[in-house]
Amino acid sequence: MNYSLIWSQVTPHIPYLLGGAALTLQLAVISFLAGWAIGLVNASVLHFGPRPARLAVQGYVTFFINTPLLVQIFFIFFVLPDAGILLSPYAAVAIGMSLNAGAYLTEIQRAGFQSLRREEIDAATAMGFSVPQMVWYVILPHIAKALYPPLSNQFIIQVMTTSIAAIFAVEELTGRAYNVNSLTFRSLEVFSITAVIYVVLTLACSMALALLGRWLFRVKARIL
Amino acid sequence: MTDRRAIFVGGAAAAAAAATLLTPKEAAARPLEDVLRAGELRVGVNPTLPPRALFNDRNVIDGFEPEVAAAIAQKMGVRLVLQAVGSPERIPMVASGRIDFVMGAMSRTSERAKVIDYTVPVHSENYGIVSVAGRGLTTIEALNKPEVTLAQVRGTTAIPYIQRAIPNAQVLLLDNYPDRNRAIAQGRAQASFDGIDSVRFALRPFRQVQWEVTAVPAFGVTYSGLGVAKNNDSLRLWLNIALYELHTDGTIERLWEKWFDGPMFTKVPVSPFF
Repeated sequence: MNYSLIWSQVTPHIPYLLGGAALTLQLAVISFLAGWAIGLVNASVLHFGPRPARLAVQGYVTFFINTPLLVQIFFIFFVLPDAGILLSPYAAVAIGMSLNAGAYLTEIQRAGFQSLRREEIDAATAMGFSVPQMVWYVILPHIAKALYPPLSNQFIIQVMTTSIAAIFAVEELTGRAYNVNSLTFRSLEVFSITAVIYVVLTLACSMALALLGRWLFRVKARIL
Repeated sequence: MTDRRAIFVGGAAAAAAAATLLTPKEAAARPLEDVLRAGELRVGVNPTLPPRALFNDRNVIDGFEPEVAAAIAQKMGVRLVLQAVGSPERIPMVASGRIDFVMGAMSRTSERAKVIDYTVPVHSENYGIVSVAGRGLTTIEALNKPEVTLAQVRGTTAIPYIQRAIPNAQVLLLDNYPDRNRAIAQGRAQASFDGIDSVRFALRPFRQVQWEVTAVPAFGVTYSGLGVAKNNDSLRLWLNIALYELHTDGTIERLWEKWFDGPMFTKVPVSPFF
């Protein structure tokens, strides 16, 4: 290739890229936690709710799993303002990613609910637990261990997915990489460094999740 | 295979792939003789920058730059192959010889010229403020306030200038010009400081908005050439001569007026010496 790698033109921008990585992580954490909460409520509705509520949840899941995230955020970012709802770029992306993750996490947690034994539910019902109490005190501790690995995977996917935010004016890691690239034209160097930052970020997240899993749920996940 | 061995083998494979990619003899940019011998000129254009390049109603790449490229290929006596390129991959694609030159608002800057060689200019780029009438945003001073948000396209030449000369304004970096225009129309941003050559074309879909476009000659004019791989002089020097002929016979100006609904704001000074 008729191209000489010159890293020195890109390395001064590494702190700027790392700032973007912090925003990437923040966006992933917020959207994952919101998506997890949405998924938990939806899985409860699918398991215990009346038929109209179940149909509504199924409709939500079908819509968000079968449309691209890019289209969903585009709708929130550019179509809602015409209806008088003008969200900041960060809020629009966080809401879009949360709703999207919520659909996948509904399915993951629904599978966990289905793994419950009937006797546990009957015992909780006999003790007079409400549905939220049953979910919090009986179901969650039971399914946490089984669902921890797929939930961790979903979090890593969420970290990767944040790169879509660059299209909507959120200056996360990929967005900043584009900025540095346009300034220096050093595409190979810029995106190589960006890829390394993503690898370090996701490996660090995987290790942290594995340690957290061991500590909280005694999940024997590999740390590396 | 153990995990450690798998990681080692994977790492070795990645290193081998990188070495193959960066080996000088592999896939180098093609000099003029190779292009002529192959009978095919490969040109990169960015179809997200209408009317420079766009997908027409038959989903074929069309626009000012594809037509200029076609005129160049005709002079060369070879077939034209257009390749859609985006911002990140355009330079590696030129350097690797996947395309022979790249178009797409390739404004010349000294920083960019460290990585890529430019031909003589194809067209000028003129700058100004795009806003909605009645907002009073017609000067750089008016833009330089914290309550003003400028919608800009990521990676454009105006960004470093904004950081330097309009530091107090907020900046919203979007992916393309239609999104930028929509953001201003919806009130997400108040204005934009950018090239104004294509605004007549780009603002057409927003007929309900009363746009205000103010030229800012003080910014100066930049020039866009064809981006050629570093040191591919046989091709670049031939392209200079072809562009000189296309300027002097009026082809470039005619194509510009066809696609941009009017003449260039600043004519390109044409010189027979390169």
